[in-house]
This record gives sequence, C-alpha cells and structure tokens, in this order.
Amino acid sequence: MEYKEPHSSGALAAICTNLSKACDKQMRPTEAGLFGKLAAYFSQSAGVAGPVSFNDLDTCITSDTESGYVAVETRAQQVGDRGALRCVTWGKKVTTIHKSVLVRYAKQGDALMEGNNLYVCEACGFIAIAKEVPELCPICKAPASRFTKI
Amino acid sequence: MHAARNIALCTKDCLCLFICPTGATDTENGQIDFAKCLDGCRLCVDACPSHALYLVFDRYPVKPDKDVAVVSALDNLLESKAKQELIGAALAHEGNGGAKLAKAIAHSDRVLAEDCAREARYMLPQSNQTRKLLTELLGRRGDPGFPVEAIEQLLELLH
Ligand code: SF4
Ligand code: SF4
Repeated sequence: MEYKEPHSSGALAAICTNLSKACDKQMRPTEAGLFGKLAAYFSQSAGVAGPVSFNDLDTCITSDTESGYVAVETRAQQVGDRGALRCVTWGKKVTTIHKSVLVRYAKQGDALMEGNNLYVCEACGFIAIAKEVPELCPICKAPASRFTKI
Repeated sequence: MHAARNIALCTKDCLCLFICPTGATDTENGQIDFAKCLDGCRLCVDACPSHALYLVFDRYPVKPDKDVAVVSALDNLLESKAKQELIGAALAHEGNGGAKLAKAIAHSDRVLAEDCAREARYMLPQSNQTRKLLTELLGRRGDPGFPVEAIEQLLELLH
C-alpha cells in the first residue's frame, strides 16, 4: 500500500503518543519511553504560523463535520471497516461538542468555566465542563478513572 | 506470554501469592516480576477473585491490510486534528481568557488525532506499517536533534 503525503510533525507526534500508549498497555515501558521521545521531538518541531483565534478552530471543525468525517464514514461503510466507523461515531460526537463549547464560550466568556472544572476523556476526547468528574463518559462509556483534569 | 496485574482492581487478598509456583506475583511494586513469570502458565489469572490479572502477549498477529481509501481519508482527518491541537495549544499559550478551555480542546484534539492514527494503520507498535514509518523516518537522521537512536532501538525491539 502506498499513501501520498508524508505526515506533518503534529500528526507524527500524535502517531507516536498513540504507539507509546499501546506499548504501555503491552507492558513494554522501554518501547513506550522511546516512542515518547520521538513524540517530544515532533511536538517541539510542530507549530502554527501566525496569530490564531477561536474562529480558526471553528473553521476546522466545520470542515471536519461537513467533509472529513463524511469521507471516512462513506468509504468505511462501503468496505465494512467497523473500526474506522467506531472512530467516526465517537469523533463526530466529540467534534460537535467542541463546536458547542466554542459557541457557549463566545456567548458567556469566562463565566462558562466559573465554579467548574474541565475534564477530558482519554479514550475519546470528550470535554466535560462540570464540578465533578463524570462517572461514565457519555460518548464512549469509559469510567471516571480515564478522565484527565485540565 | 506472561501475567500482568491491574493494580486498580487488585483487592490485595491473596490467591495469586499462594498459587504462583515461582513467587513472581509477590513484589514490592505490585506488578508481576516478568523475569520470574513462566511463559503461558496463567495459574494466577484463573485464581484471582478480582479479575485483576491478565496475560500480556509477546507476539501479535499480522492484521489484514486496511483499505487505501479509508486510510487516506483518516490521514486527512488526522492532519486536521493535529492542526487543531496546535491552534488550541497556541491559544492556551497566549494566556488570554479561555486559555484553560483552549488547553482542554488541544488535549482533546490529541486524543482524537491518536484515534485516527490507530485506525489509519498505526494500531500495533509491532505492525509492518509502524516499522515502515520508522524506517522512513531514519531518512531524517541529518536533522538537528533528531532522535535517530530511539528509532534504531525501536526497530530492534519491535517485531
Ligand atoms: S502466570 Fe504463573 S508464573 Fe506467572 S505470575 Fe501467574 S502464577 Fe506466577
Ligand atoms: S489474587 Fe488477584 S486480588 Fe488477590 S492479590 Fe492477587 S491480583 Fe490481587
């Protein structure tokens, strides 16, 4: 199989942290550390050009929901790739939550977070703005222990 | 193939200590002593009343190749998520209102990017696709600070 583009540094960082976590699950701490080292290298060589705003995020989110996920879903359905369909099912929901969080933040500003904590699900990326950590992730059903407090 | 312990589930009873023929289950850090664990034994896995013990494999199967069009579409999505993570990180760095929210979004985008990477052929560290990527990355050995030894060690360790 040949694929056209090489991955960007940012994508390589995510590929490497994913593989590092996979090594952790296999109880291979040495390999996990080596992938972690690679991820750190790619993270520090990645960056965005110029000033950015929350609007830029919004533009990417719209593109993901209107075309990015649609492309994966359409082809995954054709070839019966249920793993990719699972990724689409979770990812679309989480991306929609990014969108709604941005809309609420634009309206309410910092008041949105007042008295609340921010939690991210390590399994699917779900963002919770709440006083307490969720008992169960509403998207992927991971338990509270899989949440990271920001 | 050796046993491993999920420390969060272990209720510190008991039976694995009694049943293990080598003492591999009795350690000061709570994890199984892999050097002492007998390949394929699994006595403790079956004995544990808390389902806290499981088996970790040394070899993983070769998966069927992914459909090229699914992978290309996932690669595009991976790039988009990686870009959003960088935007979120830049916003968090600027430290203005919403910095914490931007940090949460960046963290979430990393998880989303990792999921795309997993389904786009990088699920198993031992897979041919991962090895192919690592081998290609060796070509960057001239870049300043590039951790070429890490890649060489990974290619050595992962089969
Ligand atoms: S699998 Fe057997 S040798 Fe290994 S820790 Fe369990 S009981 Fe001991
Ligand atoms: S048998 Fe299970 S619950 Fe008991 S000490 Fe061993 S791992 Fe923990």
